[in-house]
Formats: sequence, C-alpha cells, structure tokens
Amino acid sequence: MKVLDIALKDMLRSFRSTFALVMMFVVPLMVTGIMYFAFGGLGGDGGGFDLPVTRVQVVNLDQPALHSGFSAGQILVEFLQNEQLADLLEVTEGADETSARAAVDDQEAGVAVIIPPDFTAAVTAPEGSATITLYQDPTLTLGPDIVKGLLSQFVDGFAGTRIAVGVVTEQLSKRGVEIDAGLTQDVVMQYAAWAETLGQSQSGGAHPALDIQPPSSETEPSNQGAGMIGAIMAGMMIFFTFFTGASTAETIIREDEEGTLARLFTTPTPRVVILGGKFTAVFVTLIVQVIVLIFASAIIFHIRWGGPLPVALVTLGLVVSATGLGVLLMSLLKSTRQTGPVMGGVLTLTGMAGGLFTTGFQNLPAAYETITLFTPHGWAMRGWKAALAGGGAGDVLLPAAVTLGMGIVFFVAGALVFRKRFA
Amino acid sequence: MSDDQAIQVRDLHKDFGEVYAVQGISFDVHAGEIFSLLGPNGAGKTTTISMLSCLLEPTKGDARVFGHSILGEPIAVKAAIGVVPQEIALYPDLSARENLNFWGKMYGLRGAPLRQRVDEVLEIIGLTERQKGRVSKFSGGMKRRLNIGIALLHKPQVIIMDEPTVGIDPQSRRNILDNVKELNRQGMTVLYTTHYMEEAQELSDHIAIMDQGKMIAYGTHEDLVQIVGELDRIDLTINAESARVIEEWQATAGVHEVSAEDGNLTLLVDDSNLVLPRLFESATQAGVRITSAEIQEPNLEAVFLHLTGRALRD
Amino acid sequence: MRIIDLALKDLLQIVRDWQSALFLVVMPILFTLFFGLLSGSGAAGDPRLPVGFVDHDQNSALSASLQSLLETSDAIRPVVLEGDEADRAADFVRDEDLAAVVIVPAGFSEQTLRLGGSTELAEVSGQALVGEEPRLMVIADPTTTAGRTASNAVQAAVTRLLGAVETARLSAETYEARSRLEDEASRRAYLDEALALASDAWSQPPLSIMVEQARPPAGDEEKVSPNVYTQSSPGMIVQFAIFGLNTSAMVLVLERKSRTLQRLLTAPITRAEVIAGHVLATFAVVFIQQALLVGFGQLAFGVDYMREPVGTLLVMATLALWTASLGLLIGAVSESEDQVIMWSLVAMFVFSAMGGAWFPLDITGKAFSTIGHLMPTAWAMDGFQNVVMRGLGLGSVLLPAGILLAYAVVFFALAVWRFKFE
Repeated sequence: MKVLDIALKDMLRSFRSTFALVMMFVVPLMVTGIMYFAFGGLGGDGGGFDLPVTRVQVVNLDQPALHSGFSAGQILVEFLQNEQLADLLEVTEGADETSARAAVDDQEAGVAVIIPPDFTAAVTAPEGSATITLYQDPTLTLGPDIVKGLLSQFVDGFAGTRIAVGVVTEQLSKRGVEIDAGLTQDVVMQYAAWAETLGQSQSGGAHPALDIQPPSSETEPSNQGAGMIGAIMAGMMIFFTFFTGASTAETIIREDEEGTLARLFTTPTPRVVILGGKFTAVFVTLIVQVIVLIFASAIIFHIRWGGPLPVALVTLGLVVSATGLGVLLMSLLKSTRQTGPVMGGVLTLTGMAGGLFTTGFQNLPAAYETITLFTPHGWAMRGWKAALAGGGAGDVLLPAAVTLGMGIVFFVAGALVFRKRFA
Repeated sequence: MSDDQAIQVRDLHKDFGEVYAVQGISFDVHAGEIFSLLGPNGAGKTTTISMLSCLLEPTKGDARVFGHSILGEPIAVKAAIGVVPQEIALYPDLSARENLNFWGKMYGLRGAPLRQRVDEVLEIIGLTERQKGRVSKFSGGMKRRLNIGIALLHKPQVIIMDEPTVGIDPQSRRNILDNVKELNRQGMTVLYTTHYMEEAQELSDHIAIMDQGKMIAYGTHEDLVQIVGELDRIDLTINAESARVIEEWQATAGVHEVSAEDGNLTLLVDDSNLVLPRLFESATQAGVRITSAEIQEPNLEAVFLHLTGRALRD
Repeated sequence: MRIIDLALKDLLQIVRDWQSALFLVVMPILFTLFFGLLSGSGAAGDPRLPVGFVDHDQNSALSASLQSLLETSDAIRPVVLEGDEADRAADFVRDEDLAAVVIVPAGFSEQTLRLGGSTELAEVSGQALVGEEPRLMVIADPTTTAGRTASNAVQAAVTRLLGAVETARLSAETYEARSRLEDEASRRAYLDEALALASDAWSQPPLSIMVEQARPPAGDEEKVSPNVYTQSSPGMIVQFAIFGLNTSAMVLVLERKSRTLQRLLTAPITRAEVIAGHVLATFAVVFIQQALLVGFGQLAFGVDYMREPVGTLLVMATLALWTASLGLLIGAVSESEDQVIMWSLVAMFVFSAMGGAWFPLDITGKAFSTIGHLMPTAWAMDGFQNVVMRGLGLGSVLLPAGILLAYAVVFFALAVWRFKFE
C-alpha cells in the first residue's frame, strides 16, 4: 500500500509540472505536427499535399529550320507550358542561355531548361545526339527532380522513335530491304501513336505492364496511411518516453537533495518499499504517457497503430526499457547538476544511434543498421514499425522481447546501485 | 532498561573513514523530559541523532528507544519517534494538507483517523487557513511550522528536533520554543539539539555538551554550571586588536581562561572584584581601551569555555 | 562600461559551467557529423537506391534487357535476389533494406513478345494486353520518398523496355510487309535481334538530360563544391544557436531567483544597462559558438564559408543578434530553470524545423513552405546557403541579414516589455 502512496505522490508532482507535461506530450506531438504539416499528411489522408510550384526558365536554342517546320524544341516548350502542369511548374521563356542561367543564380528561377540547337536534328536524323541541360539551384531538390522526371518522360518518347527507326533501318538493310522515306515515316508515325497511347494510359493511373503493390499484402488499406508520419511519431514517442523515464527517475536524486528522501527513511517504511514506490511511479507515468500519445496521434494525425495485442506488446517493451534505462542512468549520478548532460546528451546520442532521427533517410549504411541493434531505441522502433505495418503479435514478438529484456537488465542494475547507495 | 528511560545510548561511535564524527557517547533520556545536546557546529550532534533516527548505522555501540534497538528493530524505533530535520524537508509543489496526508500515510495513518489527525496538526501549527496553499508560496516561518507538524502526525513518543531555530527570526524562534514546552507539557519526550546555550538553558531538564564527537559534560543546568564552580565570568569589549593583550591577561593572576572573538572577550576568573582592576591596568599599559565590561553568573558558555578553551560559538 | 562588466560576468558564469560546452559546441558538431555521414553514406559506394530484382523468367531476353535498363538508371541500381531472398522480397521493402523490388513473372518474356507480335491485338490502351497479360510486379511503399522515387524509376525503365518491345514488333511487321519470315523460329530470332539492338540503343539514348548545379562565375568554380555537409552544417549552426540559448537565459533566471538581480538594481546601474549587458553576453556566446562551428565546418567538413568572409560574418552577426533577443525573451518569461529548458527546446524545434534547418523547404508542401519562409531561421539558412551552396557574394546576404535584424528588433522589444525585475 505504501508503495502506491509513494508512487501516487510522485505522479501527482510530475503531472503538476508544466515542464514535465510539455516534454511528455506537447513537444512530441508538436514536432510530429510540424512534420505532418510540412509533408501534407504523408499519405495519411491520401492527399492534401500540395507540391511546391517550381519556377522554370526554358530557353529554346533549337534550330529546326531544316526540318520542314517540325520543331521538337517547340513541342517540348509547349509540353512544359501545358496547363495540366501549371500546378507544378511556372514556366517562362528566356531570351538566351546567359539570362536563363542568371535567373537561377539570382534565385528568380529554380531551374533553367536549355534546349540545344541540335535538338530537332538529333530527333530526326539517324545519327547524332543531343543533350538538354537542366541548370538548377543547388539548394533545391524536389522541384528539379520533378522537372527532370517530366523531361525524361518527354525525351524518351522522341528517343524511342529514333531508336525504333534505327533498329528497323538496320535490320531491314541487313536483309537487303530498301529503306525509303516513306518507310521511316511510317515507323515514326506508328511508334509515336503507340507512345502517345501508352502515355495516356500512364497518366490515367495505370501502367500496361506492371502492378505496384505496397510491401504488406496483409495490410488493410487504412494502414497504408500510416507511412512516414507513423514512423516519425513513433520516433518522437520513443525518444520522449526515454526522456520522461530519466526525468521521473531523477526525482530520486532530487528528493535526496531536498531532504525529503532522508525524511522518508526516518518513517517506519522499509527502504525497499520507498524505492519500489518511486520505481512504480516511473513505470506508471510512462504507461500513461504512451497511451495518451497513441490516442492523441491517432486522432490528430490519423495514425493507425495496429492491432491491440501487438501495440500492447510493443508498449510494454518500450515502457520497461525506458523505466530501466532511466533508473540505471540516474543511479550513476550524484546530483541533479549532472542530470542536464544526461538528459540532453546521453539520451540524444542513444536516440541517434537507435535511428529515431533518421526516419525518411534513404540508403542508410548497413553498419548504421547494426548499431541500432545495440540500443533499446532501435528495437523499439522496429517493433513500432512492424505494428504500424499491420503486423501481428508474432511480428512484434522479437523486438518487444528484446526491449523488455534490456529494460529488465537495466532496471535490476540500477535498482541494485540505488539500494546500495541508500542502504 | 528502566521503564522511565525513553532513550538509552551506549558507547555510540560513528566513523567516516578517517573522520571520527562520534566517539563513544553514552547518555539516557528519561521519558517525559526535554533533553538537549549542546555543542558547536561539527560537534557530532546531527550525526548522533541520525543514528538514533536509524538513518546512519553506528560503527560501534547501540541505542534503544523505548526498549527498541536501533540496530535490531529500526522500524519499531521509527514508529516511536518523530523527526524534525534541520533543513526544511517538504514537497514544495504540494499543499500543506497534501504534505501532511502523504507523511501521515508513511506513518501508517489512513482514512478518517488520518483526516482527523491532519486537521488537529494544522490547528496546532496554525496553518488551518493555509492548508490548501502550495508550500513553495509559504514564508520561512510557515515552512518551519509545517516541518514540525509532520513530525507530530503519528503522536510519537519521542520527538527529535535538530537545531529547529537556526536562521529564523526571533518571533518564530520564540514560537518554536513555546511549542516545544507545550509538547513536553503534554507528555512528549523531546530530544533537542542546538548550539544556542540560552535555548538549552531555557528548555532542558538535562543537557549533554558535545565537542569534536565526544560528550564532555552531562547533567542538569545547575550540575553543569557547578563545573566552573565559583569562577566568575567577565565579558569585555576592547577597541583594538586583541592578540597583544590576551597574552598579558592569560598570564594575569586569577585568570583561568580567555577566549576572544572579534573584539569580544570572555574570561573566567577567580574573583572578578580582584581581577578586573588588574585587567584594566595591563590594558592601559598595552595601549588598549576596554569599552565595556560585564560580570556574569557562570553559565553553559562558561562551562564550555572551561572545558574546551573555546567559546561555544567558535 | 558597466554593460561590459555585466556581460563579462555572465560569460564567466557560462564558461565555468562545463555543461555549456556540451550544449554549445560538442552536440552541434556531433549532430553535423551524424547527419552529414548518413546523408553521404552512399557517396563512397553507389548512391543510387537499391531495388531488388527477382527473375522468375530465367534467362529470358526481356528480363535480361530489363535488368540492363535498370543498371543504366541514375536513380536506382538492381540487386539480384535469389532463392530465399526472393521469397522475402516484401520484407526487404518493409524493413527499408530495399527501396522496391521488381518481380518478373515466369513466361513474361514469352508472353509479351508473343502478344507483341500478334496482329490481332490492334489496340494498345489502358486495358492493354487484355486477358492473360503478363505483368511485372513492383513492391514499393508509395508513402515513402524512397518508394516513390524507386517506383518512378522502375516505371521509366519498364517504359523503355516496352519501347524496345514495340520497336521489335514494328521492325518485324515492317519486314514482313516487304519480305517473309519463314517460320516461327525465324520470327523469334528476328524479334530477339531487334530487341537486343533496341536495348543496346537504350543504354545510350540519343537524347539525354544533363543536370548542372548553379555555380559561381568562372574562377571560383573550384571553391564551391557542395558536399554532404553543406546542408547539415548551416542547419546545425542555426538549430544549436537557438538551443544554446538555454545557457544564457539560465543566467538571467538564476539571477532573478537568487535575488542578485534585485541587488544589482541597488547599485548605480540603470535597468536598460542591465538588459544591455545580458544581451551583449548572449550575443557574444552565440557569435563565438557560430565562429567555432563555422571554423569546424570550414576545416573539417570542407564547407566553404570563408569564400565570402564578410558575407558569412554578416549572417553570423545578425543571427546572433536575433537569437540574443530570443534568449532575452526566454529569460524574461521563464520563472525557473525547467522553464528555460522547455522554452529553448520549443523554440529550437519550431524555428529549426519550420525554417529549413532540418530539411529544405522546397520539399515541403506549399503552405508549409510559405510559412516557413517567414521564419527568421529560413533567412539565416538562405544567407549561409547563398555563400556555401550558391556561391554568391556579399550582395546576396544583405536581404537575409536585414530581415534578421528586423526580427531582432521585434523580439527585443517584446523581451523588454516582458522583462520582470522581481
């Protein structure tokens, strides 16, 4: 009973502290909220993300005069200026290459597209090549990528025609068939028609030869919305749960400094009960924190955390490991003066090593993945990702068990140190 | 142990490595009395009561509180005592009532008895009107009163107070001393530590004087004063650096002890009527002017000075 | 003079607290290293996204062509999965070990080429290749950037593959209109030859796109060579300039709590001088911190701040001024040490995340990007990036510096209004 009295007293103090409440709930939700706002829900609602408009200066240096009025460069310019792309591109025609490059340098445009003089020639002649230059602001990434993707798609159409003509010509010539202008024209027309139809089907959302599926076939459609925002929220939740674990355990040291711990020791309450009460406070506070964050983020960001059993298992592992690590860290400190670097430094470092700050990073090195295995954070993250992806209890069992085991080890070590210290 | 012994201390030692904080002290506290441990800072008073409160384990020796050994029955000891620590030990972000509720539970009180007792204690310490206020907003005096009130919740048989009047204003100090006397009048045994001689003198039935970990004297006030016997005490203030005149006076006939602090000197002499003129004469010869002279009845300060050669407040 | 004395006192308190060194210098360097290393982790090897390739249509012409088309992509690189690995393809994507997986079903080549040669198949439409159409499967997470990039790149490669198939079909058709292929085997051989020629041509297409990063005028080209730290270094400087405020704001709060502030006011010093002294100390702390981090960035990470030293200094100074005013505001409104840490963290997260210190604003949504550009931190990032990424001169930092100065004035006014001397 006294264990509960002590635990409840500690929890009352925690939940009355604005600082503690802000760190437990407000900051993790706020940071996730910023990311959610930044990336428009990240597929959570299947939309709502307005890509930024990229300002494009296009310079058409193409010299089509020799090609009976057919100007590939002009077609490209019109393609970029198409109304359908108005949401993505704001296109102006530049006078010349120098002024277009200057526009990018002066940040009046994000990208300059420079169509070379031999563009039409390269499209129509059997030999030769041409390169479109995409001169971009080095601080931009998404906009230039979008422009490059569109240009590639367009350019492939022409390139395909050239290749088709080339292959047909080569094969027929090889077999002694005479090549005339009408033949090549025919090939061009047929290939172009095919390309156009293919393009239309692709812009209709379907590719004629491939199906794209998300990784989990058992995933319910609603879980696909979890995506990156779920992983970000999981990362924040893990980080701030460990933070709260340490700061709640810190109250042991603080009470020692304030004299109330010594006073507790003068009461007819066994020391193991006193320490037990304080550890219980840490554990229960973290359970409350995780539950509130799960529900709040589900409501605000529409995150589907997964089935009740996998979520419960991952939560248990997370809470036990955060409790254990908090108790262990604080047991090694002498005063509250030292806790600042621990909270700021150690927890951040372990968070970094655990992969909490790299959600959305592509192509992480294998060595880094290995490092995450040494931290409870890394395993907690694995567990949450599995739950978010709709995994069952079996999918989360290993990460949950590892975090639970780590937490128990940390806790026992920390509790023993505290017991010895206050014997 | 006889029935009227609230506390029996036998040969208590406490070492912290090379530091011998308490070196073999023994004393008895009778049930229903006020017993003071008097001594300067660092004498070992707090260490002694930390052992009696079962916060520290003695290196050697034992003590009993109403028959319960501090070594073998610490829980029973703690149930019998109420401790008022020297530093305020309260939860600043809880209210007065919340603090009392919590500490009452730690002493085993629950439900209606707890509520009733909390009301009573709030009344005793005069904080009924402010019971819902956060302790962090209390004045120093209010915090001190609450600090004492917590020790009274479970109606202990013995209350141990560690220098409860340090650093507070005279009125609050007066209140505390009156409270101590009232508690004692109601039957509570009080173990009180202080470095203020006048407090020990005013309150105590028995006094033990401690210095450098040892008990150097024990008894009633009258018993202790007898140690200095017929010696008179003279308090002098001079207008100059005292070093050159102290040597002179120490060598003067009839002077037993001289202690000096910032121009204030205390001397123990055989007969103040005979010695005082000699002191004036040697002062004049040394070019020092005595600006005030007071002849006092021997008191605990004098006792301490006689026993240690130092003033109680050194 | 008293202002300087007060500032020096603050600095002494900050410097004596070893924790300050941790928050002001060590942590930003660690973070810069961390994010820079991770961003550039692929630089030594192949930086393209790994995409699994499962070929159930072993040794077929089309699967070989597809694999070689994937090899020539500048966004992705194929990783062949066989045996057990092939069965766990979806797991690799879910665990983010692979950005996507392409699965070529058995009979894909045969069926595609056969259907491609069928003259009865007149229409190629959105429901192309009806009936038993052979379809590739791509497993990718559409909600991640890597997944989207990979699936776009795969689609581009597949489109080229289909182009090669169509080329082969057209060639066969054209030939058959003028001559004759004796039998199915000959037809097959013809198609295979066409396919090989087309695939080969696609490995070096006649029309290509070259991406060029904007560079400074000729002569300076060698000096600006953005590396992986060029984004992370300025971002960390900006972020930790704000977080480091907790050290100087703490001094203010402790001064108020310990009542030394009140004692200070009994000395012949005005309130304005008191505030000025604290601001000067904070400015010095942030400026020195930035100088250390700029120096570290320049020497250790090769981020060329010093190619335009006056410009860099101007951004540093105005950023320090704004953060000093923010620090004063935090010190003004906080009543305890906990509150200082809390407000410093909140300010750091909000201004850093929304101002482009964590990720470039150009990859965010329109609304966020617009609001983000209002943040003073966005202007600080602009100032630094104009120098280190765009390779521009002093003129390019005047506007960002001016805006930072204006923000400093506003925050300073707020702080003075809220400053409690009791």
